[in-house]
Amino acid sequence: MSHAIEHAKHYLPTQGPIAVFIHHNTLHAFEHLPFDEAVLEGLRIYGSQPYWPEAKYREEMLRDRIQFQDLQAVLSRDLGQNGLQEIALGTTRCELLYQMLRFPVLTGSDSEIRWLFAQSDALDQFQDGVDLQSGFAMLDSTRHWIMRVLRIHLSEVVTNIPEDIREVFNHFPLRSVESWDDSKWQQLTLQLLWQICKKGVRFADQVKHRAPALHRHRDVLLKLTSFDCDLRVHDLLVRFTSSFLDQGFAGWAIPQREEGFYRCFLSLFAEKSLWTESWLRPLRGLIASERETVSNPLESIALSLDVLGVPEDKVEGYIQRTLLALPGWTGMVEQMACNASWTLHPAPKDSLSEFLAVRLLLDRLSASHCIAESPSASGIKLSDLLSLDESAKSDPRGRSVDQTAFDVFQIAQRLGWSPGRLHSWSVREWQNVVDEIARFDDLERRRMFHLAYEHRYRSQLLDAIAEHSQFPLKVPANVSFQVITCIDDREESFRRHVEELDPNAETFGAAGFFNVPMYFRGSADAHFIPLCPIIMVPKNYVEEVGPLSEKQAETRRAQTRLLLGKASQSFHLSSRSMVSGAATALLGSLNAFPLVARVLFPRLTSKIRSRFGTLVRPTVATQLRLERGTDTEVTDKGAEGFTLTEMANMIERLTGDLGIQGRFSQLVIVFGHGSSSLNNPHESAYNCGACGGGQGGPNARAVAQMANDPRVRTILKERGLHIPDSTLFVGAFHNTCDDSTHYLDIDRIPPNHVSKFLAAKEVLEKARRRNAHERARRFYSLEMTCSDEEALRHVERRSQDLAQVRPEYNHATNAACFVGRRGRTRGLFLDRRCFLTSYDPTTDDATTSILMRIMQAVIPVCGGISLEYYFSTVDNVGYGCGTKLPHNITSLIGVMEGAASDLRTGLSQQMVEIHEPVRILFVVEAKPEAIRSIMDRNPLIDTYIRNHWVQIATLDPLSNQIQLFQEYDFEAYEPGPRSLPTVSTSLDWYRGWREPLSFAKVETCASESEGVSMRGKETVEARV
Amino acid sequence: MKLPEWTQAFGFATVFLPCLLLLIIGIRLLVGRPMSEERLGLYLKGTIGVSLLSSLAVLSSMLATGSRLELVDLGNMVEIHDVHFHLHLKFVFDRLSVPMVILSLVLCGTVGSFGLSYLHRDSGFQRFFLCFAMFLVGMIFASLAGTIETLFLGWELVGLSSALLVAYFHERQSPASNGLRVWAIYRLADAAFLAAAIVLHHKSGEGDFGILMGNEPWPAGTASISNGGALLVGTFLLIAAAGKSALVPFSGWLPRAMEGPTPSSAIFYGALSVHLGAFLLLRVSPILDQSSMLSYMVVGLGLISAIYAALAGRVQTDIKSALAFASLTQVSIIVVEIGVGFRYLALIHLIGHACMRSLQLLRAPTLLRDYKSMENAIGQSLDHGSPRIIAWLGASTQRRLYRSALERGYMDAILDDCIVKPFVRLFSAINCLELSWTNWLAGSSKRTENTSDER
Repeated sequence: MSHAIEHAKHYLPTQGPIAVFIHHNTLHAFEHLPFDEAVLEGLRIYGSQPYWPEAKYREEMLRDRIQFQDLQAVLSRDLGQNGLQEIALGTTRCELLYQMLRFPVLTGSDSEIRWLFAQSDALDQFQDGVDLQSGFAMLDSTRHWIMRVLRIHLSEVVTNIPEDIREVFNHFPLRSVESWDDSKWQQLTLQLLWQICKKGVRFADQVKHRAPALHRHRDVLLKLTSFDCDLRVHDLLVRFTSSFLDQGFAGWAIPQREEGFYRCFLSLFAEKSLWTESWLRPLRGLIASERETVSNPLESIALSLDVLGVPEDKVEGYIQRTLLALPGWTGMVEQMACNASWTLHPAPKDSLSEFLAVRLLLDRLSASHCIAESPSASGIKLSDLLSLDESAKSDPRGRSVDQTAFDVFQIAQRLGWSPGRLHSWSVREWQNVVDEIARFDDLERRRMFHLAYEHRYRSQLLDAIAEHSQFPLKVPANVSFQVITCIDDREESFRRHVEELDPNAETFGAAGFFNVPMYFRGSADAHFIPLCPIIMVPKNYVEEVGPLSEKQAETRRAQTRLLLGKASQSFHLSSRSMVSGAATALLGSLNAFPLVARVLFPRLTSKIRSRFGTLVRPTVATQLRLERGTDTEVTDKGAEGFTLTEMANMIERLTGDLGIQGRFSQLVIVFGHGSSSLNNPHESAYNCGACGGGQGGPNARAVAQMANDPRVRTILKERGLHIPDSTLFVGAFHNTCDDSTHYLDIDRIPPNHVSKFLAAKEVLEKARRRNAHERARRFYSLEMTCSDEEALRHVERRSQDLAQVRPEYNHATNAACFVGRRGRTRGLFLDRRCFLTSYDPTTDDATTSILMRIMQAVIPVCGGISLEYYFSTVDNVGYGCGTKLPHNITSLIGVMEGAASDLRTGLSQQMVEIHEPVRILFVVEAKPEAIRSIMDRNPLIDTYIRNHWVQIATLDPLSNQIQLFQEYDFEAYEPGPRSLPTVSTSLDWYRGWREPLSFAKVETCASESEGVSMRGKETVEARV
Repeated sequence: MKLPEWTQAFGFATVFLPCLLLLIIGIRLLVGRPMSEERLGLYLKGTIGVSLLSSLAVLSSMLATGSRLELVDLGNMVEIHDVHFHLHLKFVFDRLSVPMVILSLVLCGTVGSFGLSYLHRDSGFQRFFLCFAMFLVGMIFASLAGTIETLFLGWELVGLSSALLVAYFHERQSPASNGLRVWAIYRLADAAFLAAAIVLHHKSGEGDFGILMGNEPWPAGTASISNGGALLVGTFLLIAAAGKSALVPFSGWLPRAMEGPTPSSAIFYGALSVHLGAFLLLRVSPILDQSSMLSYMVVGLGLISAIYAALAGRVQTDIKSALAFASLTQVSIIVVEIGVGFRYLALIHLIGHACMRSLQLLRAPTLLRDYKSMENAIGQSLDHGSPRIIAWLGASTQRRLYRSALERGYMDAILDDCIVKPFVRLFSAINCLELSWTNWLAGSSKRTENTSDER
């Protein structure tokens, strides 16, 4: 039993409380399978779609996001040798299937098809998509066939011309055949074609499908009585579960929560009540007997399964289906029991089986009440219900003759199969064609479209990279300053604009916690929060402390904050209570002012608010308590601060990853990033994923402080890493929502560096404006002709607007990740769709240990982001959380839709509406052997790549040769013809365009003087 | 032009412009040429803005002239002399209706602007604003109504738009079924309202509040019907008000109505729609004065509802249900105030509460952020625990009370068992009878019963 639960558990969503939102692969449970099989499993188990609907892909074809040649390429690759097999005389499988992709094959019920032939011109004119020439060819061959063969046969009664075909000629008397015009011939051809198709398809066996089996009592009853027993169970269960899991929102916590889900439920519902819904009336008696006979939830489950008559061999499946009936809440029960020790009220360990026990009790009641109430189910015993499932026994149904014949009819027109040719087909050929068409069903076609969609972006990107790195832009020799940002796709444009504005600037990308995993508490925060990827557990606690000189003022401000906080808490509570609520409501008219102001003038209001906020906000002149004191205790949970050696280790590793060692400029600015927006329950998802859904500012600040520390530099120098004395690190924070930037600890910049810093800051100021402008092209609510300044104001307004459901587009449109030197992509317009990770293959060792640790981080993180976006986009209702508009925060752990619903996991429709669902393509500047050896060493990366959850290609460090990982191994990639456009600035390329953009070379990024792009050629050659 | 004519014109504009908005949106949709989002926004802001200015102009002219009652009479829309039937459209501007209409316009304007961004690019954008405009017209009609027919017209429009917006996301099941529930209870309230209107017409021959209340400006009027008549009419109106304002025993629908987009929940169940029942009681308050029995009933119902809602609200774990019950608590207290006779207090309370609650509902999705900033200011986790009064009760009583709060006082179950089921049973029985009767007439038993499992 517990084994079955343990097994079913894996299929539940693994999203935890929403305040910490981590992007992860939605189908994590299926990663051991190849992607294509896994999505079909997802369809089977969750009923969620594996790909977009075909119509959506066809829309993308109209937008030129898929081309015919992509379809052709992926189809012939997928079919391989089998594609060349002849299905019918003169037609290969590949040709047949390609025609089915090229134009839609219409289908419908028999009566729809009849209607179509009766009411439309389907029998008068060739279909759309049949070009003039092949139309004439078909007419011509029909003419020949009739004149040569058929006319004579028809006149003889003995030949076996079927009656259907004879009948066609009743309407086309052959006497006047000489005087027929083309349109008459066309009609005749089509009518003959249709009759022959019907005739031929009848020879072939139709492919049959079984109706899906019914798994639960609810399914059987739904079919029998059309009453959904789950509705009332869920109504109660959602209410009870949300109270049980509540993290302190309700003003009255559920009694006896500490006794666990099962006992808490029993004691609550064992009480007498004023009234009971009729189906719940037997519950008290049931609880009483339950208490006598059963001692723990597992026994209760066994008893319930017995009562429900679930056969031994089906228990596992039954439990799985039962748990997945309300996946969001069920998954959250499990998450709160296992992964939520940091929350206020985690659930006890075995809550999932307790939940299941309660759920089965309610299922029993609801099902037996339904049986008793509805006439169509009366007399059936509850325990017999599952064996009643008729659909499993009933004959499998296939498509009708007319439906299949209609498919062939359409395909025949496109492939130029003339009636005469079809007439001569053998049964085997008909069977082949029918089978082939049936096998290439909706799901298969959508898989092909999906592959073609990926093929299109992939070939565009790889061609662009191949061409760009063949003629790379000059990278600076005299670097003015260096910027380190997160690898995040949203920073791509920011970096590009920095390079455009100052061609002598250099940018780098590293995972946004900058290799400083820590628990951090700001000077005005209540708790320490972890700032590192979710898979790490920090060992060090870092606090922000105020300056000594302002201690009194700080205390005063803290007290004021405490007062205001208490006041707003008591307003929050009392406004909902009775007596004090009345008092607040009497003065409630005052609320009209903030109401009107915040809705109509969000930006202005927020400025005024922040003006007042300065009275209580903690001073910015704070410091990080980074260094461990000598008398600090080190416990299991970690210790306060870092030792100098730890700091040196972290800096050494970060700079090693970046490949910046030995080329420090005088100024290095480190940007952490985050995002702030209002009315957004998913706010945490917009923050830095590498900081565990937190904001990366403190990490950047810590890096700068550590790298500036002369003692750390001394240690590093002993290890051979020299940071020049003239080099200064500055920490900064970039808000990706309103594009604001904050520079941290600037009062500590030595006077000698100030002018340098101010010059860099000026560039960065301009860059953030341009970045806002480039982002704004995707927002339909802003004119595309706006100025940088207007765009900046617009994004500032967005982040402060209560009514804004798309404060920013987050990772939407992410599609690729480049791991390598910036020199290889510098100046390439990547449209904010590419994660950029810095890695210098020339400084890596023989075992590529640097690449190894980089890939260990980026593959699961970027892959997880890409896959979560993929699934939430292809089925927003099934895998995502639907539209944001009716979302309702519940228990402080998640969102429901409207008044009460399942807990919704995944991304909202507004987050993914512009996303193009493709698996992420990694382009790594390394030899394929390096990746192969990493795959050998790391099973997770191996699974991701071999099972095609991500795509990967390598770019040779010394040339522009690209190797793409195909089915089983890397294969050389042949780039297409050179076609990369050259533009002067990014603006020239994206101006006036809202849709996704292809690639271009931005010339302004080129430096005046050639630098170090191919530095260390010899060493690389020696190693690889 | 003399001042009163200006006032008339402004009064007319106040009523007319929202109707114009509804017409424009409706006709454009009807002919299949919906407006662009920008243009719709422009019309929305324009009409509501000008309407608001006109109502302010009426207010200032009334203040200037010291007038306390202005009428805009559109005359009889329908008149059938033989049966003494007429549908009289008349709008009054007095101390009750002017604040109410200004409140409606301010809130609808603000929430409408909110909705323009909130629903940007949503597939139901046009549908939302059609319902929204319908709601606005309903509110204006109901607030300014001078006759019971006019009030009923507005009341109906509010009900219809409200049910349609609850079921806005009709591709899912629960919005549709909850919308149906809201609609069913509204119909019940409407039936009571209609009964009241008929009795009123029967007793006084008029649906005109002016004649009924003795043509004095609100709240000074005295009802011109007998005590018994007042009690009868008042009881019907109380049932109507209870349905519309979700008082006990109709409270079950209010939390269920939180299915639509956030702005519609805010304007309907936080601000305006839910207060309409209380407004009705205010409007007919002279009748309450007439019968002390009636006043006791009003106070009693209000008190029960307030205690119920406060209790149920305590255990809600999602922000929208919690705010729904909080709304109900205050509406119930307003009803108590009306019953006790504090008319102005009730009006101030109503307006204040509407503003406060709609702001709270609009920013409901920002709850997590608010909690975080409160936690940071206070320096520890927020845990409200349990109310102090509860701790005094025994464990078993606590559980029973908690469970009835969790099950929302079994309100839905009681209504289902006591009203819906007998109702459905009665009509199925009649259906059976009719079938057997017609079968007997037809001399065969061909036709079979077609049962519907509604609820």
